[in-house]
Amino acid sequence: MIRRVSDRRIRVLVVLFALLLALALGRAAWLQAVQSTSLDAQADAQAQRTVLTKPRRGTIYDRNGRELAIGELTTTVFANPQEINDPVAVAEIVAADLDLSEEHVLELLSDTERGFVYLARKAEPARAARLEERGLAGIGFESEERRIYPQRGVASEVVGFAGLDNKGLEGIERHYDELLSGRAGKSTVLADPYGRTINVLDEDPVREGHDLYLTIDHRLQLRVERLVRRARGYWKAQAVTAIVMNPHSGAILSMVVEPGFDPSQNVEVGPDERRNRAVTDSYEPGSTFKVVTVSAVLEEGIHKPSSSFNLEPQIDVADRTIGEVERRGAEVMTVSEILARSSNVGTITLALNLGSPKLEEWIQRFGFGRQTGIDYPGEVKGIVLPRAEWSGSTIGNVPIGQGISVTPVQMAALYSSIANGGKLVKPRLVERIDGREVEAVKPERARIMTTKTARQVTRMLERVVSGGSGSKAAVSGYRIAGKTGTAAKVEPTGLYSKVRYVASFIGFAPADEPRLVVFVSVDEPKGAIFGGAVAAPLFSQIAQAALTHLEVAPGGGSR
Amino acid sequence: MATRPAIVQLRERDVATSPLATAAHYIFQLDLVLLAVVGGLVGYGLWIVNSVTADDIPGDPSFFMTRQSFAAAFGAVALVTLASLNPDLLRRARVPVYVVTAALLVVVLLTAPIRDSRRWLDLGFFNFQPSEFAKLGLALVVASLVASAGTGGLGWRRTALVLAVSAPLGLLVFVEPDFGTSLALAVVVAAGLFFAGARWRILVSIALLTAGVALAALWLLPSNGVAVLKPYQEDRLLGFLDPSSDPSGSTYNVNQSITAVGAGGLTGRGTEGASQTTGFYLPEHATDFVFSSLAEQRGFFGAGLLLLLYGLLIWRGARIIGMAPNLFQMVLAGCIVSVFLFQIVVNVGMTMGIAPVVGIPLPFVSYGGSSMLASLAMVGVLLAIHARGRLTRQRGPRIG
Repeated sequence: MIRRVSDRRIRVLVVLFALLLALALGRAAWLQAVQSTSLDAQADAQAQRTVLTKPRRGTIYDRNGRELAIGELTTTVFANPQEINDPVAVAEIVAADLDLSEEHVLELLSDTERGFVYLARKAEPARAARLEERGLAGIGFESEERRIYPQRGVASEVVGFAGLDNKGLEGIERHYDELLSGRAGKSTVLADPYGRTINVLDEDPVREGHDLYLTIDHRLQLRVERLVRRARGYWKAQAVTAIVMNPHSGAILSMVVEPGFDPSQNVEVGPDERRNRAVTDSYEPGSTFKVVTVSAVLEEGIHKPSSSFNLEPQIDVADRTIGEVERRGAEVMTVSEILARSSNVGTITLALNLGSPKLEEWIQRFGFGRQTGIDYPGEVKGIVLPRAEWSGSTIGNVPIGQGISVTPVQMAALYSSIANGGKLVKPRLVERIDGREVEAVKPERARIMTTKTARQVTRMLERVVSGGSGSKAAVSGYRIAGKTGTAAKVEPTGLYSKVRYVASFIGFAPADEPRLVVFVSVDEPKGAIFGGAVAAPLFSQIAQAALTHLEVAPGGGSR
Repeated sequence: MATRPAIVQLRERDVATSPLATAAHYIFQLDLVLLAVVGGLVGYGLWIVNSVTADDIPGDPSFFMTRQSFAAAFGAVALVTLASLNPDLLRRARVPVYVVTAALLVVVLLTAPIRDSRRWLDLGFFNFQPSEFAKLGLALVVASLVASAGTGGLGWRRTALVLAVSAPLGLLVFVEPDFGTSLALAVVVAAGLFFAGARWRILVSIALLTAGVALAALWLLPSNGVAVLKPYQEDRLLGFLDPSSDPSGSTYNVNQSITAVGAGGLTGRGTEGASQTTGFYLPEHATDFVFSSLAEQRGFFGAGLLLLLYGLLIWRGARIIGMAPNLFQMVLAGCIVSVFLFQIVVNVGMTMGIAPVVGIPLPFVSYGGSSMLASLAMVGVLLAIHARGRLTRQRGPRIG
């Protein structure tokens, strides 16, 4: 009897278990086959987090590794006004800790319409840390990089600056923004219920910004800036621009524009001060442009340096009569003397012999009317009229540097091509990226004339300094080649001014084995206007400083 | 008449062979299918614990697996010992077993609480959990009591005696507190009465009484200011009735568990992708909620395989109940099989939101040495009952 009872009851157990097992399997199938997609998404949604890693912005160094622009860690403080119960009390504490105006903070915190307000972007980490320790609800902290410029105003026109969001706005900071910025890292992490990362599921690693080493030599830049500032004060000039460039590589050792600005105070300076006039402004070059015509007639084989010309005191070209700056009688001059004495009549005579098609070709050959390609934003091309738009008198203007507009870097490139033996180089401001030289910053050179022609022009330019209009450009112990320039500025009326001039001097040293080209222009000097008087002395000082700095041995002597 | 020559033959062989051959003969009387199924469960369980806990202790991915393997090894020794003993000998030890079990359950209450409960005795190398072994001890006691009632069937008085003897053990476990295991002990008692042939009248009365007590514990007494269950126990039981009532509170575990099971899909998310497990969204993923972790990592197929093995376990267990040579052993087997069934169904059901959350381990799989040891010991007893049943049939029923 017991056996039969138990057999029945075992059957009850087995049936019960079979039902429960089927129920469990059914439930598992329901969850894992039917609801699987939504539950899987639910699991991912709560466990996966996307974490962004901000890249470090690259440091900008001078050629010797001195820091010109660096990133500094700061703390940005923000708040959620909706989470703040007592805005008055919190505002008092926040304002005290961060050194802010209490009313301003209170105004921000009282705006309960918003769930996010910045209290202080890029605050002092120490101050923010003090506030953070208080553990106030609704106040958040985030570390953010702040761009600082330890050299303040030095080379500021070159370096430019980056804005609050670390985006380059001017200068090198802007031109190389992509390289400097790097790329943010993005990773998907598995986080536990408390938000702590357990492991990384998918990582797109952060690419830190590249470091840039400029061609600028900070110490030389500093000295040139002092000289330029002093000269600007002396001549009460509107602006002074100076460039020191290696004629062989195009590397710019120093680029100074006064007035300048201090990038750490970038909010208060207007666009006028921030402009790097050496690249973004063009001017009429005047006599410094005469080397274009002289080089062309020599290279084309039309004349030799010793070819002599019978020059009247003035020359008629179409409806214009052009004379010399200093009155003289009829004279015989060689090509050399024309350049050394900066004869307008002589240069126009050479240009007429060259012919306007060739003249236009040579202007283009030297790179005028187009960008040099310098690695700097906002470079202008200058203004070179195409020959189709030339008037009859154009051939009497352009050869002597009138009716044409050029930039200081174009002029520096022109004189570099004479200094380096005939190759047009691309001026550049970045020497290395991350400590290694890259394709992008290798010197770019194109031969535009023979070494012989370049040497001949160099000898003529030496005579400008040794016995011509540029004698004040001399540097004792070195052979200097160069050319003065004086150009009247165009008044708003469209006529040439009688009082506003640009005085300039461009040259290189040592003349027999040039190491550097120096460009100097003084915009609207007061008291004197001529390049030989205003710009040549500044050239001499800068060249002296640069030669000493580069430890170029004196020698050669003047011819 | 036809069976006599067979019996004579067997007896001759028994006499003629060596002890080694006797042992070998005995081994073949064990339920080798059950042994294989349990072997499979233990192996699968270790593998599951290993994959589920790989990230729990940084730098030591096999921390839990190693410890669980030792427990399985000890469990194997217990299994072999109990499988070779005649269960009738255990019956003689019923009084010492009862006393020792009760004593251990009292001693455990004197220890310092771990996570608010007093369940473990720290033996240095091992945290011994007496309540796990109380299941087998109580099964032995209950089976002894009902078997000695004789063949006249189980009456009210004997039933009352069984309840009176069992209640203290259940209460001792309940106050640890360990609600899940005290329920398991209740299942042992119910199964004992059930398989002993207690009349339905009695069984239904006890069921109604239990329902009344449950109602009192959950509703009547608390509303009069007497707390019987811990607040979390009450929350869990009530939360089961409405899982969405408080997703971040008491039903958090269940909802995370359901999410884990569902996220596993058919083939699982693997060990790397199982964010519910590795991200600690799933609490107790090596112990009470190990099934959810398995389901997340290995999907429906992995979970289904485990359920299949459990199906085989219960099937063989049910067969052994029917093969038991006497009432004591039949009831003992019935108690053991019922406890397994209860633990499996409640644990698995809980992880999928179809049973209330009561902390109860999944046999052979949940991390925990005592559970592993006790489960294997219970299988050892089942194997011995199988063997005795076979031998008794071969020899013919014993009289007296």
